[in-house]
Amino acid sequence: MGREAMSFDIFICGVGGQGLVLLTNVLGRACLKSGLKAITGEMYGLSQRSGSVSVHMRIGGDAYSPLIPTGGADALVALEAIEALRHIEFLKKGGLALVNKRVIHPPVETAQLIRDRNRKYFGLDEVVSRIRKWTERVAVIDAFGIAREAGNPNVENAVFLGCLSALKGLPLDPDKVKESIAEAVPKGTVEQNLKAFEAGMAKASEALCRHGVCRG
Amino acid sequence: MVLKDVLSTNRGKAFMLCNEAIARGAIEADVKVVAFYPGAPTSEILDTFSEALGSFDYQMQIATNEKVALEICAGASFAGFRSLTAMKSVGMNVASDTLFVLGYTGVRGGMVVVMADDPHAHSSQSEQDGRFFAPNSYIPMLEPSTAQEAKDMVKEAFSISERHRVPVIVRTVTRVNHQSGVVELEEIRRSGFARAKWRDLKEAYLTLGEIARRKKLMMIERRGRLEEEFEGSGFNFILGETAGAGTGIVTSSVSYLYVLEALKELGLAGKVPVLKLGATYPVPKRLVSRFLKGLESVIVVEELSPYLENEVTIIAKEESPEVRIIGKRSGHFSEAWELNPDLVAKGIASAMGMAYDDKSRISEEAKALREGIPERYPTFCPGCPHRGTFVALNQALRALSAGGKGYYFANDIGCYSMWVFPPISKADSSLCMGASVGIANGLSNVVEERVLAVVGDSTFYHAALPAVLNAIHNKNRFTLLVLDNSVTAMTGQQPNPSTEFTAGWREGRRVPIEDVCRAAGADFVEVIDAYQVKENVPVLRRALEHDGLAIVVSRRECALYGDRRKRRRGEKITPFYVDKSVCRRPYACIRDVYCPAHEIDEEGQPRISPDLCDGCSVCSRGCAFGSIKRAESWGEKR
Repeated sequence: MGREAMSFDIFICGVGGQGLVLLTNVLGRACLKSGLKAITGEMYGLSQRSGSVSVHMRIGGDAYSPLIPTGGADALVALEAIEALRHIEFLKKGGLALVNKRVIHPPVETAQLIRDRNRKYFGLDEVVSRIRKWTERVAVIDAFGIAREAGNPNVENAVFLGCLSALKGLPLDPDKVKESIAEAVPKGTVEQNLKAFEAGMAKASEALCRHGVCRG
Repeated sequence: MVLKDVLSTNRGKAFMLCNEAIARGAIEADVKVVAFYPGAPTSEILDTFSEALGSFDYQMQIATNEKVALEICAGASFAGFRSLTAMKSVGMNVASDTLFVLGYTGVRGGMVVVMADDPHAHSSQSEQDGRFFAPNSYIPMLEPSTAQEAKDMVKEAFSISERHRVPVIVRTVTRVNHQSGVVELEEIRRSGFARAKWRDLKEAYLTLGEIARRKKLMMIERRGRLEEEFEGSGFNFILGETAGAGTGIVTSSVSYLYVLEALKELGLAGKVPVLKLGATYPVPKRLVSRFLKGLESVIVVEELSPYLENEVTIIAKEESPEVRIIGKRSGHFSEAWELNPDLVAKGIASAMGMAYDDKSRISEEAKALREGIPERYPTFCPGCPHRGTFVALNQALRALSAGGKGYYFANDIGCYSMWVFPPISKADSSLCMGASVGIANGLSNVVEERVLAVVGDSTFYHAALPAVLNAIHNKNRFTLLVLDNSVTAMTGQQPNPSTEFTAGWREGRRVPIEDVCRAAGADFVEVIDAYQVKENVPVLRRALEHDGLAIVVSRRECALYGDRRKRRRGEKITPFYVDKSVCRRPYACIRDVYCPAHEIDEEGQPRISPDLCDGCSVCSRGCAFGSIKRAESWGEKR
């Protein structure tokens, strides 16, 4: 089977309001521009904001199912850190984990903290050390910081488009991803999104190049 | 959504959500009338039509419920216009009264009913299998697997409907509706809209007694003609060769995609023949029979009930009684919950006696890593008016309990359904649209406790209104709390009669809930502002103690809808912050309010995330020390 036929599967997760749907749409457009088949399975959850949301994104000719089989994703993109652990079983053992540094504590967790004052939040360090038991190839990205620096805290999703584009396994030309961003995001925010994209690409390369998974 | 893909009148390709592809298909098919009541996983079909309204010559109504939507489409169809509605699984329960009769009366203009089931109950109260509506109503049914197929089937469904003068159900599941893929766009050529002349079209759409008995015979004949047509439908096809294969697979809908994935994983691609059924009612018997010929066993892969399995079993009994049928009854697949590629691979491997690693080791390892992570239950968005209503309601209920008078809390379907989840976990019942009020009509006469029923604005108009009138007429005594957030929020803030807009942001006439109730004769009707926590407690207490029906309308627009409107007006959101010098850490802001914007910082101090805070003020109103302040001074606006 040729390389073209093998699918590249990305499991994307986060919290309602972080722009997963737009991220997915950009990748899908880039696939279209590249003549690649793409199929997704999108789960929006019950709440519009602050609930758990996820997308199975599959690129390539032999991707049939909208759902990635257990342990089948080449990359896990977590726009919120705890969500990475919640969905870790979709990631291949040793697969690529691109994880936002941002932890959004659900109200139920904060409520537990005031009931039991000795209790601590489930923090980023614990998340990352557990992910490392699944894979060594982890990039922790300060997407929120990058997005703010780019002038718009809502462009965390574009940071991760940049991260994904740093990977040589992603069968998409980064320029095609950028073109798709320009088409899909609200008019006034193209520049901020592209800035976030470039910074994300650089950060992921920095974090992952020693594993030999980056472009160029 | 990227609207221009739906609007482009040219050929080409686009990456689209299935729901957008369904809308695009209907627009390509020159649909003239669409009507909907929103419901996951179909809401984006409505949204797409609403956004595209004005670009094309179709009419659109966002109806008060699915039955009205279906009837709008039937009316248009009687006059020769192509029409389409879409509804979720349980929406069909509401609409089915009319659906069954349409099987008898038939239609004229092509009429398509998209019905989306929700295996796994991702966003529904049940896992009901709507496929059985088709045989029960003698209405044909198509089932797509992909976005492309959904678009193709919607277009063809209009033609089938016109050929056979009957509505056509396009039945999807969540994993089809919420699937995106590359879709071929065909040209859009619209014919323009002109009113029809009924006097030229006039024919009878009625059924009763003798007429119904006659039409029943016609329906049976029609089923035969449809079955004959589906024998040759391109939506039904066989992959691979049955001769010498031994085992074959019959499947439909998203399960077909899981089958392809599973066969690939098991190294069986091309070796096991697959009968993919896209037209699933009536099931083409000769095609199935031909597929079964010579097979030793057939695996039926489908979600929920054994619908296809039953059909295949009946056909096999007549034509190939020796064939072994594997499916739900044999225990290889469950009737519960949705399928996925792993479950399908496991079932096929087991049916074929192959060794299979069911990945339970991976799942166990993942489970160990998830140990102790916080649950992220569905919750109210920052700024949600239901949070403010809840804070006041909780205080009023506590007072009621303190007085030794318990209560029964009948919840309903809407964002406020989330009151059933931790940390609030408050509801004695939650059934289906509007049922809380019906239940209250019954319970309030048989229990000692005060009964409280809750509905939203959209639910009020959708199905609660008859139960409200029942309560007034029968002098039933309970408290009805109507949470009026101006839109149908949970499905994406679509307009309803409480909204000043309707489809496509066109002007609509608001129907104030309090006016409806007062006009109907309710004498205790109060309107409160959801954010005014302190002021609302005594009103709610009075309503809970009132000797009769007490109706309280808690009004404040949905925060997301409100934010969208603010953005349109160029208004900024000003978040709140905790003034550390004043806060004495009673944590009432967290304990009573449960807002995603609230956190505890390293020093154990409550903190409000300025990026999440919507500036609603509810937490600040409950703070005894006045330490929660609007961040006016910092200029931290979004």
